[in-house]
Amino acid sequence: MKKTEAIQTVDPAVADRGPAKKNGVLAALSFRNISAIYIFVVLFAIFAIITPRTFLTPGTWLVLLDAQSITVLAAIAVLIPLVNGVFNLAIGAEVGFAVILVAVLQTKLNMPWGLAIAVAILIGAFIGLVSGLIITKGKIDSFIATLGMSSILLAGLAFLSENRQIIGLQDGFRLFATGGLPLVPDNPNFKLTNPVFIMLIVAFIVWYLLERTPVGRRMYAAGYNPDGARLSGVNVARLQIASLVAGGIIAALAGVLLASRINAGDPTVGPGLLLPALTAVFLGSTQFKGGRFNVWGTVISVYVLAVGIKGLQLLGAQNWVSDLFNGVALLAAVGLSRWERTAKRGSAIKRATPKFGRGK
Amino acid sequence: MTNESTIGSPMGTPPLLSIEGMIKDFPGNRALDNVSLQVGSGEVVAVVGHNGSGKSTLVKILAGVYTSDGGTVELSSQDGFDTELHIIHQDLGLANELTGIENLGITHYHGASSFAPFDRKKERAKARELIGRFGEPFDVDIPISKLAPAQRSIIGIARALDGWQHPRNVLILDEPTEALHATEVRVLFDAVKKLAADGAGVIFISHRLDEVLDLADRVVVLRDGRKVADEPRSDLDHDRLVSYVTGIPVGEAEHGENARRAGEVVLDIKGLTGEILEGVDLQVRSGEVVGVAGVLGSGREALPAMIYGSIDADVESFTLDGRPYLKRSPRESIRRGTAFVPGDRAKFGSVRPMTARENVTLPELKSLTGAGGAISLKREREHAQTLMQEYDVKPPRAEQVFAQFSGGNQQKIVFAKWLRNRPSLLLLEEPTQGVDIGAKQAIYDAIDRAASTGAAVLVCSSEAKELVRLCDRVLVLRDGRIAAELAGDELTETQLVIEGYGLKSEDEL
Repeated sequence: MKKTEAIQTVDPAVADRGPAKKNGVLAALSFRNISAIYIFVVLFAIFAIITPRTFLTPGTWLVLLDAQSITVLAAIAVLIPLVNGVFNLAIGAEVGFAVILVAVLQTKLNMPWGLAIAVAILIGAFIGLVSGLIITKGKIDSFIATLGMSSILLAGLAFLSENRQIIGLQDGFRLFATGGLPLVPDNPNFKLTNPVFIMLIVAFIVWYLLERTPVGRRMYAAGYNPDGARLSGVNVARLQIASLVAGGIIAALAGVLLASRINAGDPTVGPGLLLPALTAVFLGSTQFKGGRFNVWGTVISVYVLAVGIKGLQLLGAQNWVSDLFNGVALLAAVGLSRWERTAKRGSAIKRATPKFGRGK
Repeated sequence: MTNESTIGSPMGTPPLLSIEGMIKDFPGNRALDNVSLQVGSGEVVAVVGHNGSGKSTLVKILAGVYTSDGGTVELSSQDGFDTELHIIHQDLGLANELTGIENLGITHYHGASSFAPFDRKKERAKARELIGRFGEPFDVDIPISKLAPAQRSIIGIARALDGWQHPRNVLILDEPTEALHATEVRVLFDAVKKLAADGAGVIFISHRLDEVLDLADRVVVLRDGRKVADEPRSDLDHDRLVSYVTGIPVGEAEHGENARRAGEVVLDIKGLTGEILEGVDLQVRSGEVVGVAGVLGSGREALPAMIYGSIDADVESFTLDGRPYLKRSPRESIRRGTAFVPGDRAKFGSVRPMTARENVTLPELKSLTGAGGAISLKREREHAQTLMQEYDVKPPRAEQVFAQFSGGNQQKIVFAKWLRNRPSLLLLEEPTQGVDIGAKQAIYDAIDRAASTGAAVLVCSSEAKELVRLCDRVLVLRDGRIAAELAGDELTETQLVIEGYGLKSEDEL
């Protein structure tokens, strides 16, 4: 036992090593932390120079803000389950299903539009519950489970809509998404619409829950390490189900707003939201919180992606440019977050081949 | 006690593998300190030592996982034969869903031949021949998950040997018997002995002293990163080996200087049954540290998780703090004042990408919430920072990501996480696994402190030394039952080993 003292003394240089606390402001403004905002500025500058006439008009911006607020809602509906380690690939179908449902309830069942919205949101919650039970009780991987759920919902959507636009919605319903707060008196086109407010409120609530409450903390823990979280007293399955229910509610809300904006039950509009939503969530995880999925990173990312696409379209690009842009951005975002995670681990373990010599 | 003299290979020829002055530093801890080792042709060299003695670090350097901070490794290239290193890691690196033939990877495909059909007959014959060298052949056409653990080890060894151009290579076996039963160990040892007889050099890493004495021609003992002995098997007996490994002279037993007074019964279990455990009775009193010993497969590993409620088990009766508690879950256990430090820190003990602060507060956030159910980040930060100081975590930065701390400091954080709410029952599984010696002491102190302030502590450990140091009494599990209870003067490392293996006397070692 006599040798232990010598080993116990820790080299102070080693013990106290580690970067001195960086200047907080500089770190917060570093490219790594808020790259999306820098990309936003660059995109803005480029398009402002090339197409100043169209790109720099307030009309363009207000329309963008309004239209993308629904994408933000869809992205948040992907984000919450993903924080819990659950993929929700049914998001596009969930939104699309709500679009049709809220229209069918009004036209075929003559339901008042307020009630129709409530029912659509309730059914959205139920869809999330079913997905959650399939994943946690049925032990089916979330990727597969939500992909299957997506296909089922698309079938239901086609059945309800008979693959046609459903028109003849109630007048009051249309104002749900198109009403808002006028910015300039006497000009009804310049206004902040209801979806923008709803989006901000939802984003704030979700941010609060995820980052400020024990529930959110447990959700992150469950997503990172379900086994470890369980042993720390976290009810992982219940949180995963809850996250899918919350996602289902928000997706249905997005669907209702979408139907109201286009004033019809259009079976084609929902499914396309999956890719931009997923892309924004992954790109958002590289922002602000160093690799952690988070609300404001997601919100910013939706708009950065939208600005990029909008600019390209104003330059005369075809419609398919949005698919191309989202696809490339998704790969880049996931690659970026992967890189961030490995780079952070730094040289905790040095991997290298030892130098072997050869004897005589 | 130190014996730095090296012994050449028995046949008077230069060694196949020669390691000189190997050094490896981890932050705050020298894992290997000037370790030298030679292996000759036909020789089985055992490297023994406790967890944390530097055995696995040595293997990882040879395997290329770590780079060394000093020292050389030389392989012989005598008579035109270049000696190769073949390493079989503890988990064997096999694919459980594939058959024996597929795992053996008999045909080496290159380029266009990758698309040629298999010659099944030929492959089967070759596979039989390969494993036939190690005793009775077995079915090579079924997925290896259906084979006995020893048969899987043989597949692993056969695969490492396939493609040897000559027998004079070096095979390194890293804790190969960990998952094996006694009879299966025999099968494996026969295979290894055959190999050595053909001229190979074998390094056998183990912390099981009886196996070492059974198999090895020469024994190298590591302790705290240093080589403390390098002697032929014939010069060693069990007592001497124990004294080398533990650092305690023969005949002198170490006892913990703990004279705590046991209070009320906190945990009282009757007839706990599940997995391999069968009808285990257990009582732990307040202020008492009770150890659980037993070899791998004795049921030791599952016991704390069953008490905690993360693994299901049947009980005849289970009372905690005098109240029955039959439907157990981690969440409910925490609520009732139980804490569980699991053995697998990365998988069960922590959330690695989260900060130290987020890890320590995870089990109990209620006391840190304020208005609106929100966590008061200011209070949480202060609380976490105090804990970092109290448990001497280095560096004491609560905002650092858990994964970035060294193993010992990670374990201090895990202890801080569980001890911060003063549990009445503390369940510990391998509390100092992968922990450097400085942190080890800090963790022992924390356990002593918890017990002296009234916690009931249950420690499951594979380290006899640790149990002797920490415990008031130790229950020895064997084949799922309590085989012995040791306390007072009977509680020695030697006695723990003897009871753990069910040996009648030391002659059988």
